[in-house]
Amino acid sequence: MALFRFSSDPVDSLLSLQRELARVFESPLGFELGPSGRGIYPAMNVFTEKSGTMLRMEVPGVPPENIQIETHGRTVTVSGKREVKAPENGSFHRRERSMGEFSRSVQLPADLDVSQAEATCKHGILTIRFPKKEETKPRQIAVQTA
Amino acid sequence: MTDQEISVRNKQEVNREEPTRSGRTYQPDVDIYETPERLWLWVDMPGVDENSVNVDLANGVLTIEGAVALDDYNELAPVYTEYNVGNYLRRFSISTDVDVDGIKARTANGVLELELPKAEKARPRKITVTAH
Repeated sequence: MALFRFSSDPVDSLLSLQRELARVFESPLGFELGPSGRGIYPAMNVFTEKSGTMLRMEVPGVPPENIQIETHGRTVTVSGKREVKAPENGSFHRRERSMGEFSRSVQLPADLDVSQAEATCKHGILTIRFPKKEETKPRQIAVQTA
Repeated sequence: MTDQEISVRNKQEVNREEPTRSGRTYQPDVDIYETPERLWLWVDMPGVDENSVNVDLANGVLTIEGAVALDDYNELAPVYTEYNVGNYLRRFSISTDVDVDGIKARTANGVLELELPKAEKARPRKITVTAH
């Protein structure tokens, strides 16, 4: 599987990243999206990296302290609230940004170590990393002389 | 599952005049709010930091641009995707007179907040009626 390489030319790398993301991916191997599939907020991308798997979600306007991540066995649930803050005595001309509570659950493949998950939220993008379980990592087997 | 109040809005690609740069550009979701003294805009641009935003008001057209950072995509292979990433662009014609020097812009958690104070002459004025 080709990993996305960051080239020194930002225009070129944006195009190749967009091309990668535009490929149609059905349900990722080992994942169970259940009723929480495409179209459920927040929109999610799944990536693999050397050390494991990463979920990335777009949650602009949600401060990190308003995001709860809970695991239950192999199921991970991300929930939170997007809130409006507008000064008083005015009115909206346009309201395209939907607000309110959200919750999304995903069942992870069995080879990931849920207990070692780490989450960060930067500029409205939530990233949750799940490392591979120790026993599923590649191992060198020494050949002994008989 | 708890109550789901929000749904995903699919990103709208911007079709504009022949762009000079290649790559897709998306239209960010925007809220616009008006008070007697100000116009407020909140623009959803996940993945854009304060240094990659460009706001410009010229000839009554407000242009908002944001460039996404790609560094976070290094050494990753997508296996399932629901959204694409790209730069953001949105333009509005502003009919109200705005005090250009007083415009304030801030970003927090991937949202750009714009505060546009109305020029003195565009503010509502209360006219006192006196009896004589």
